[in-house]
Amino acid sequence: MKALILAAGEGARMGPFTASVPKVMIPVGNRPLLEYVVQALVENGVRDLVLVVGYRRERIQSHFQDGKAFHARISYVTQTKQLGTAHAVWEARPHMEERFLVLNGSNMVDSRFVEDLLASRDKPAVLITQSERPRSYGVVTVRGKALVGITEKPTEVISNLINTGAYALDQRIFDEIERLAKEGKHDLPSAVSALAQRTEVEAIRTEGTWVDALYPWDLLRLNATALKGAHEVRAGTIEPAVTIRGRVSIGDGCVIRSGAYLLGPLALGPGCEIGPNAVLLPSTSLGKNVRIGAHTTVANSILMDDVILGPACVVQDGVVGSGVVAKAGLLAASGSGDVQIEGEWHTVAQLGALIGEDVEIGNGVSVTPGTVINERARVESGARLRGTIPSGAVVL
Amino acid sequence: MCGIVGYAGRRNALPILLDGLKRLEYRGYDSAGVAIVGDSLQVVKDKGFIANLEAQLPAMTGSTGVAHTRWATHGAPSKVNAHPHVDCTGKIALAHNGIIENYAALREKLEARGHKFESQTDTESLVHLIESYYDGDLEEATRKALHDVRGSYAILAVHAGEPGKVVGARNESPLVVGVGPDENFLASDVPALLRYTDRVLYVMDGEMVVITPKGVTIKNIEGKAVRREPQRITWSLEDAEKGGFEHFMLKEIHESPKAIHDTLLGRLANLEVNGFLSEGVTSVKLVACGTSYHAAMIGKYIIEEIARIPASAELASEYRYSQGPSDRPLVILITQSGETADTLGAAREARRRGCKTVGITNILGSSLSREVDVTLYTRAGIEIAVAGTKTFIAQLVVLYLIALKMGQDRATLGYDELDRLKDQLRSLPRAAQYMLNKAEEIRALAKKYGNARDIFYIGRHANFPVALEGALKLKEISYIHAEAYAAGELKHGPLALVTPSTPVIAVAVHDPTYEKMRSNIGEVSAREAPVLAIGTEGDKELPRFVDDVIEIPEIPWIFSPVPVSVALQLFAYEVARMHGCPIDKPRNLAKSVTVE
Repeated sequence: MKALILAAGEGARMGPFTASVPKVMIPVGNRPLLEYVVQALVENGVRDLVLVVGYRRERIQSHFQDGKAFHARISYVTQTKQLGTAHAVWEARPHMEERFLVLNGSNMVDSRFVEDLLASRDKPAVLITQSERPRSYGVVTVRGKALVGITEKPTEVISNLINTGAYALDQRIFDEIERLAKEGKHDLPSAVSALAQRTEVEAIRTEGTWVDALYPWDLLRLNATALKGAHEVRAGTIEPAVTIRGRVSIGDGCVIRSGAYLLGPLALGPGCEIGPNAVLLPSTSLGKNVRIGAHTTVANSILMDDVILGPACVVQDGVVGSGVVAKAGLLAASGSGDVQIEGEWHTVAQLGALIGEDVEIGNGVSVTPGTVINERARVESGARLRGTIPSGAVVL
Repeated sequence: MCGIVGYAGRRNALPILLDGLKRLEYRGYDSAGVAIVGDSLQVVKDKGFIANLEAQLPAMTGSTGVAHTRWATHGAPSKVNAHPHVDCTGKIALAHNGIIENYAALREKLEARGHKFESQTDTESLVHLIESYYDGDLEEATRKALHDVRGSYAILAVHAGEPGKVVGARNESPLVVGVGPDENFLASDVPALLRYTDRVLYVMDGEMVVITPKGVTIKNIEGKAVRREPQRITWSLEDAEKGGFEHFMLKEIHESPKAIHDTLLGRLANLEVNGFLSEGVTSVKLVACGTSYHAAMIGKYIIEEIARIPASAELASEYRYSQGPSDRPLVILITQSGETADTLGAAREARRRGCKTVGITNILGSSLSREVDVTLYTRAGIEIAVAGTKTFIAQLVVLYLIALKMGQDRATLGYDELDRLKDQLRSLPRAAQYMLNKAEEIRALAKKYGNARDIFYIGRHANFPVALEGALKLKEISYIHAEAYAAGELKHGPLALVTPSTPVIAVAVHDPTYEKMRSNIGEVSAREAPVLAIGTEGDKELPRFVDDVIEIPEIPWIFSPVPVSVALQLFAYEVARMHGCPIDKPRNLAKSVTVE
């Protein structure tokens, strides 16, 4: 059976972290989100995958290539206009056989999740789960095991059962998509709701893992989940007098200098250099080629590829994009913060800084909890930051 | 999941079946086997990769056969459990993908009737069941057997007494027919067939199919014939391997950040450039051909700037036949393939002259590694497009590492400078990615400038060879005449060629020659030539002197050849694409030049 994975969206609510990568390629536990979906499918023997790509599709294609490295065969369909999920499925129509799976590429799922979906056998099906914030999703109404309908982001409480965006479908869905497109509706939940009017659509409650990241700080939760289940590898050079406790993965070519203190779960990608007396605390992921200066502390954070933190920095509960370079003494500690994303304010109990790709930070900069520094901003030495720093800005 | 392949035709079946299996290896690869009907039925199988099986195959002749690659989801992969399975008489062979649910009951019944089982697999029950119904017609026996079977399957069967015939059936596991002239194929998936035919028929659940060299018949399980027209597959095998990119060249340009990462991996923190020879080196000579020669020319500037050692670059085809001076430079030989004939010759010549030699190549175990004292690998991964892109970038990265190592060993660099340079080298993947993010902007500029008959490239210092490489890329793949000049040389002749219809691409990034470059740009724009400049982000002056600017990020100038090269590679690619050129395989050119 083939699976169709939706990976065309930008993910604007991810703030600076989707400036040059699609949401599905944001790393958690040092692997792009999309890898978790691919792996869960492959573990269930679903190896023939079609990725619907659009925004920054080159990033997805150069990572997954033809899929061989992931024990899958991957082909790509480009969605030229990001009209909606139903449109994405429609574009992939020539690739689909009679029955196929549809999954969202930006959710972290496990093998059990896919197994539950496959249990649908021959009926069309949707996987549902319980959620603490149903209003952000499509809420499902069911009669017994049959789907009645999906209501997108309801204003009043209907139920706490939501649509995970994972479906088992057959050719019949294309009739619904075609019909709804004429009414200007291009979302897949509407098409599945319409299908449920004509034939039985099974609503299967999954026992597996399904974690969705809506906002950048959600990534820290996903990262912690991923690190708990991560495979532990130990490579690289570890100098004398380094302390390592817990589940700590150290990639090829890493160098850990004397006096460093590493508490798991941690994942260090290949080619990282950890300076003398640096402290890495749970649950932290360091991407490829990251350098951490002497006496720097990083806790519960994601540092993506090529980040350089100078000596004596503190980064807690933060997300730091690829290529960020901070000189000595960056203070980005955690606290309760108000964050503005896409014009909306959110209060987050425990958050440090959200720093976009290629930001340059001078010496002795301090950052208020919840500050968003957008991509390519340049912050001069001694600055104190709060609020949102626009992309490419120079802060004196 | 497993993969199966069947063939009935005029050719020898074995190579076709093995090739098909390799295309299906993504479906599983813990054991594999083939069965061929020639004078008799021959079966060979083993656990492990398909290459493993291939290595121990005897000569098997016969133009009918089936093959199987297995991914054991239950039970251990082993030789006995590998498919195809054979019946008691040794005449029927069966390859199966799927699960027979009621195999235990079938097995009990068959064993009671005296059938001998060898394996633990569910599949073996089915082959004995077919045997029990066999009465001279494999198709009929298979049909009867399938009536007794519950489960999911795609099967292929052959009988020693019925050469030229493969019987297949499908229920909930994929099976496609490839239709050829005088030969027909069956497989789990289309890629296994694409090398031989682009016409396919999909077999549906509950259907049986029989292929012979002459034809294909599909019937339902009740034996009623089904009519179905073949479909034409419009994608090629190559498309699948290009991972969604239009050409290998574009895919490979997009792999340059990864190539930089991999090339730096484990070498940067302690400058572990293995067994490197900087002891007693007073000068360096870099020798190469083509694109690698341009890397060598840039290497001269890198080594002189960072390590403060005199360096020079020479073409391998010239170096070989020149008179050796009396000094003994360290000779660095660069070839992507490691097989370039002139570069190998130059390596031998360097050794004859008593020089120490270092090779830079992308291919492990290539001939170059046997001709030099030390080999440093660019870990760019395989490059398929004839025009080198990511491997050129990776060659530059190795040259930066060599320069840093020499600077460290000779203490021409302080540890503070070393750390700063190392951090800058760590940032190079970002600089390359920054240019890739501008792909659309560069595409628009290619449309604007790419219709010229001649295009000139100018640059100075380390970016002069970058201009040469930019021009070479454009020539190679777009067939547009392109020449590069050291900008200071314009007045000595080339300026005579500059007119309003010859665009000039000028590399004018912030480096020690920036002011000079601006005057040179003035010289060409005075002749009304349109100018596309590669400049540095935030340069407010440059746009006033030129028509368009592609900006590179602000990085120390010695590293600027990396982002500038990525920009020029993308430009050449987009121009060639606009003209519809065969980008990955330009006329008259080969990937590696193994003749002199």
